[in-house]
Amino acid sequence: MPLSTKSGLPLRGTLFALLMLLLSSISPAVSPLHAAAPAALGKDESGELTLAATKALFDAHSAYFVDARSEYAFYVSHIKGAHSLSESRFDEQFADFRQKNSIETPIVVYCAEPSCGKARHVAEKLKKNGYRNVRVFTGGIIEWSHAGFPMEG
Amino acid sequence: MKRIAFPSPLITTLRVMLGALFIISGGEKLLDLKFFSLVIAEYQILPALVIPTVALFVSLCELLCGTMLLFDLFSRITASIMLAMMALFIAAMTNNLVRGLEHECGCFEFLSQWYGLKEEIGIGPILRDILFFILLLPVALLGSNRIPWKKEQG
Repeated sequence: MPLSTKSGLPLRGTLFALLMLLLSSISPAVSPLHAAAPAALGKDESGELTLAATKALFDAHSAYFVDARSEYAFYVSHIKGAHSLSESRFDEQFADFRQKNSIETPIVVYCAEPSCGKARHVAEKLKKNGYRNVRVFTGGIIEWSHAGFPMEG
Repeated sequence: MKRIAFPSPLITTLRVMLGALFIISGGEKLLDLKFFSLVIAEYQILPALVIPTVALFVSLCELLCGTMLLFDLFSRITASIMLAMMALFIAAMTNNLVRGLEHECGCFEFLSQWYGLKEEIGIGPILRDILFFILLLPVALLGSNRIPWKKEQG
């Protein structure tokens, strides 16, 4: 029996990857995605998050999720635990948001889909108001719901 | 001046059709007033404090006027009230369209649920409300204002 895979990876590496996969399935807390999440937040210069990185942040409870869509859309359905800060009524809602969140809070903003633009606008407004750790989940609620991730509403 | 004569069956058909439509529209709004209030808020016309009251008033008005139209109770007055409401809806939607705002119309939510039609403000919902306005006109001008049970006694 060969001691390495076809691609040349040592058996030890393959076993380690399998072990990590097994651990990920048992607990999200030890998931490689979870470990990659802060890195994803830090490395991506555009501030945009992929579905996997967003899910990792969600599982780790390490970010405050903000829904940039209209309040009625948020009322119908949203990412579990997310809070409404709509682009259209940002000024009305921001005072309450400010009271609840310090400027250091890691924030993930999303809207409906990559083309909706509301998430980017809200992220820009938050940055202008001093929030430094703001990222946009580009895929939005459509990608999130298609992946079968937790929703409420 | 000679009045345009509308056949009675046409008035009855319009009255029943529009009455049923407004009953469904008002009823569904009453079932989820929170959603309707949030849609009204999105119009950014009214102060936040009055929005829940306006949402309740509009929903009740649609339901009540729809019922009265359906049963031919004070049809002319009822149709006139609905005409005024339609004019307000058309003005509000046009105003927001001009301002470049994109949001739910808050008109006939059941249409979007049943047929998958998008109910965002736009030229479509405005034209539809103009059509309803035109259809209400004959009822408002030529409908009956008599109370049915009094008519039977006479």
